[in-house]
Amino acid sequence: MEIPFTQADWNAVIPVAIVAVTALVVLLADLVALESVERYVSIGVGLAGCAAAAVFAAAQFGHDYNAFFGSFMTGGFTTVFEEIVLVAAAGSLILYGSIGPRARVGGTTALLLWSTCGAMLMAGAANLMMIFLGLELLSLGLYCLCGLVDRKSARESALKYLILSSTASGFMLFGMALLFGASGSVLLSDLVNPILANDPLFVMGACMFFIGLAFKLSLVPFHTWTPDVYEGAPLPVTAYMSVATKAATIAVLARFAYAALPSPIADRLLLPVWILAGLSMIAGNVGMLAQHDLKRLIAYSGIAQVGYILAALAGGTPLGLRYAIYYLTAYAFMNLGAFAVAAALSTESEEGSRLSNYRGLGRRRPLLAAAMTFFLLAMAGLPPTAGFLGKILILATAVGSGFTWLAALLIVGTAISLYAYAKVIRAMYERGEHRTHDARPFVPLAWASAAVCLLAILLMTFYPLTPSNVLPLVK
Amino acid sequence: MIHHVMGVDGSYPLLVALWLLPLAGAIFWWTFGPQLKALAGWLGSAAIAGSFVLTLLSWGAGTQSQGGALGAHQALLSWMSGFDFGLLLDPLSLLWTSIITGVGFLIHFYSIGYMDGDRAFARFFAYMNFFVFAMLTLVLSDNFIGLLVGWGLVGLASYFLIGFWFERPSAVAAARKAFVMNVVGDVGMMFAIFIIVANVHSIGFGDAFAGAGALAGPSFFHLPLLVWVCIGLFIGAAAKSAQVPLHTWLPDAMEGPTPVSALIHAATMVTAGVYLVARCSPFWSASGDAQLLVGTIGGITALLGAILGCAQWDIKRILAYSTMSQIGYMIMGVGVGAYEGGVAHFFTHAFFKAQLFLGSGLIIHALNNEQDVRRMGGLAKKLPFAFVAMLVGVLAISGVPGLSGFFSKDAVIYGALEHRHPWLYGVGVLTAGITAYYMFRLLFVTFFGTYRGGVDPSDLGIRHPELAGTMPASHAQEGDAAHEAEHHHAPSWIMNLPVAILIVPSIVAGWLMVGGANSPWSRFFASQFAPIQETGQAVAPSISEGVTSLVVLALVAAGFAIAFVRYGTRAAQADAVARLRSESVHMSPLLTNLFYFDAFYDLIVVRTSQLFGTLFGRGVDPHVIDGTVREAAYAAGQIGGLMRLLQTGLVRFYALVLVFGAACFIVYYALAFGVAR
Repeated sequence: MEIPFTQADWNAVIPVAIVAVTALVVLLADLVALESVERYVSIGVGLAGCAAAAVFAAAQFGHDYNAFFGSFMTGGFTTVFEEIVLVAAAGSLILYGSIGPRARVGGTTALLLWSTCGAMLMAGAANLMMIFLGLELLSLGLYCLCGLVDRKSARESALKYLILSSTASGFMLFGMALLFGASGSVLLSDLVNPILANDPLFVMGACMFFIGLAFKLSLVPFHTWTPDVYEGAPLPVTAYMSVATKAATIAVLARFAYAALPSPIADRLLLPVWILAGLSMIAGNVGMLAQHDLKRLIAYSGIAQVGYILAALAGGTPLGLRYAIYYLTAYAFMNLGAFAVAAALSTESEEGSRLSNYRGLGRRRPLLAAAMTFFLLAMAGLPPTAGFLGKILILATAVGSGFTWLAALLIVGTAISLYAYAKVIRAMYERGEHRTHDARPFVPLAWASAAVCLLAILLMTFYPLTPSNVLPLVK
Repeated sequence: MIHHVMGVDGSYPLLVALWLLPLAGAIFWWTFGPQLKALAGWLGSAAIAGSFVLTLLSWGAGTQSQGGALGAHQALLSWMSGFDFGLLLDPLSLLWTSIITGVGFLIHFYSIGYMDGDRAFARFFAYMNFFVFAMLTLVLSDNFIGLLVGWGLVGLASYFLIGFWFERPSAVAAARKAFVMNVVGDVGMMFAIFIIVANVHSIGFGDAFAGAGALAGPSFFHLPLLVWVCIGLFIGAAAKSAQVPLHTWLPDAMEGPTPVSALIHAATMVTAGVYLVARCSPFWSASGDAQLLVGTIGGITALLGAILGCAQWDIKRILAYSTMSQIGYMIMGVGVGAYEGGVAHFFTHAFFKAQLFLGSGLIIHALNNEQDVRRMGGLAKKLPFAFVAMLVGVLAISGVPGLSGFFSKDAVIYGALEHRHPWLYGVGVLTAGITAYYMFRLLFVTFFGTYRGGVDPSDLGIRHPELAGTMPASHAQEGDAAHEAEHHHAPSWIMNLPVAILIVPSIVAGWLMVGGANSPWSRFFASQFAPIQETGQAVAPSISEGVTSLVVLALVAAGFAIAFVRYGTRAAQADAVARLRSESVHMSPLLTNLFYFDAFYDLIVVRTSQLFGTLFGRGVDPHVIDGTVREAAYAAGQIGGLMRLLQTGLVRFYALVLVFGAACFIVYYALAFGVAR
């Protein structure tokens, strides 16, 4: 049988292939490595694979190519999102290396890497089938990862995620079927056809599709699963999930919003998504107020932060997309940083995510407390952090493109969130009695990755570079 | 957008080094002070000396000129569009940098002797080095934000150093007063910068000056924006340079150690306002209203400072009012458009005023912290070197021909006439006469006659020694005063040497300005201000410069004569105790209360604030704000509770919410697209 693909087609998916093959290598290495070094071999190989994939992905920046008959687009947009996903995967691997189980991490690493493949496919998908393939690959890995620890809450987390996510996938698949029915094609480039604007089948298809996306983005009211799943999952998985899932889904949404909807009705089709974004900013931040666990706190915080990012995309301007990417990058680093601090506070028996652990941290571990304060300030959007700058840019673009109401909700949401973040910071620097931690685990890897995230945010603040020519393409 | 950069762009490592060296010093002495002990003074001075040497080595870079660009520009950091940070060394900032590091070094060196034995010796030098860094940031920045950062940091350094002896409540109060009044100025400056950035979209000097035309167009409250920018900038300048009505902090700032007064409150920091106006000369040159305002304020300050200087008894306060008055001259000069003259007076003033302060420091040190001139007298024989130093300083500041002050003051006074401000010219001439009077009064009372340290203070009319500026420490030992007079501290060579060195430029610095347009001074600034003055309004006045010099000299002679008759004659010296008592007791309340400026601020600002504070503290805060917060907190708790209701943890419930959301979605699409068709 003749293979109809050219070399360029295969080149387009080299980063994805590298990550997938690395997962296989990790599994093999897991079999042959000595038990004492096995964990480091798995993590090391995984990190090396991520690094190699990042290099190859970066090389594709600016090379627009539509591979596999319009299924996978390379170019600036794809590269940026692939890099963010890879950073999340690498961060998560490092956290696994520092606080994960002592042995048998090969399987976990491989699952994480395959899940990353799914997210990377979503970043470049220009075809409904490819979107679904990527999404399911991402999610299947995560179902397993959530449950891969011997703890009741983890199993609960995995099961909840599986059931609810499958429901949402059902909506999405149904939507895709309707879209296909209306347009007769699975290619996003064929959805732009203005004739489709009058087709009720198409409208309902888009509706169902957006329901699926809203679930993955955990927009209100599709957010209910998020805190429970985040809380139950192992800390490194939560860190990965909070960044990679959202980045990949935002990539799909942005590609749809910017390039794949018939222009006469695009605004009306997308309006509910922006409304949910606005609701999420308020509800996410309000939800943060009553939390006692860092993972739940970040789950709610993430609900609101995605709302901010969507506010930048709402206007559909190229500048808005650049600012959204800027904020998403900052968001990735502040989440990974906060989780790294939590990892550095973990002990053998317990992950350091309970907020009561942070009381008096400023005295016990001044540097970690300072780093945590910085990440929380970045999430709250106070200067001198990239969070502040990102919010200013988003506000400017939202107001400039006529979404003043989203900007207003953003400001209200930020004001609410300040209280929640400040509560944690205050607890860290509170005087008086606090839980004494006898164990003082030194977790160099977690420590180092917190420092790297901090530096990255500082760098972003003082060198606020946003990539140009990152507009998503469909053909 | 075309980007205008002042100066020749390039890489100037020396410039960066001379800027950062004092900062490194400050951090180092601060960290390792206890270990360094006395060494901190020598090392601290060496850091400033190094900075001075680097300044001299950068001389060529600072004076270079290429295709209209003057000086050296070193880019440092590029933030968002329009926010580029860098250093700029052109003749103007080169002049300031040389004075800050050169005179700064001499004063650091002097401090090794003056602060000897102080328990916070290393901390003092850390602060001083930090001040030099802050001041360099101010004058070397190529943009308004950097300038503002430097502006704030020198205020901070000044706060630290005025309150250096923080165990004295008066020092703490003075430090606080200086800081608060300077913040008033900072706010004015910030608003000016907001206007600039909003209109020219850049913080760089080059862009802002190129956009001065754009600012002149739109108006706000019947005044062009440019005038508002000038007013805002000048509020900052007035606060920093102790101009009326924001001057009251400067005399109080004399609570700091004398070297601090010499460096910060005479030679450098207080002249920042002069630098600002000179730096922003394109703004002022484009706005006659702003020139008139600044020139007038400068003139009023010169006159007021001189009058108040006549009514002071504390040697440092006399010098403080004279500083205020002299800066008034400088501001008047740069304000009316005589930039070269105003800047020249800064240059000479830095030398002779630093010398006067350091000379008075010799006296204060020798007399065990006595500062009241009524309790001095006859010191010429006891402290001959201090006498010579003070004499040269007094001659220079009075404008005696041949000494530096004569040339620069003349340039300012004549500049006012040249730029068609005849009544400012009159103020300048009158002030010159008063200056001669109070400076010679200081000289006669301090150095002539007999030593009065043993006289009962009440016989001299000193009712409240603390209020008159005498330190509690000294009158605790009143009984020993006569005895003490025989045992002066011999000032060490460490303190004498810098004063001796300063005598030279105090005399000769003005010679640079001889020769009109061909003088070295004019040639140095040829490209700095010349392009502006072409559009300016300089016209040859009907009176020639020689004639006005003679007028000034006549008034200076009159001032000297009055001082001589009142304090210098043999009869006056013999009767000094009674005369000083009579003058103290009969002094006009207007003068003893310093024209009621402080009383006015106390009544209007302090009392009103206290009233509002009480109102808000007792009424609004607990009832309105706290009440609102409590309600909001309660409401948030309730909403949080509702959210918790959603968060049952049951999968079936979550799925139900999901389906509910999906139903909402579907209803929206059905309505939005169904009804539309």
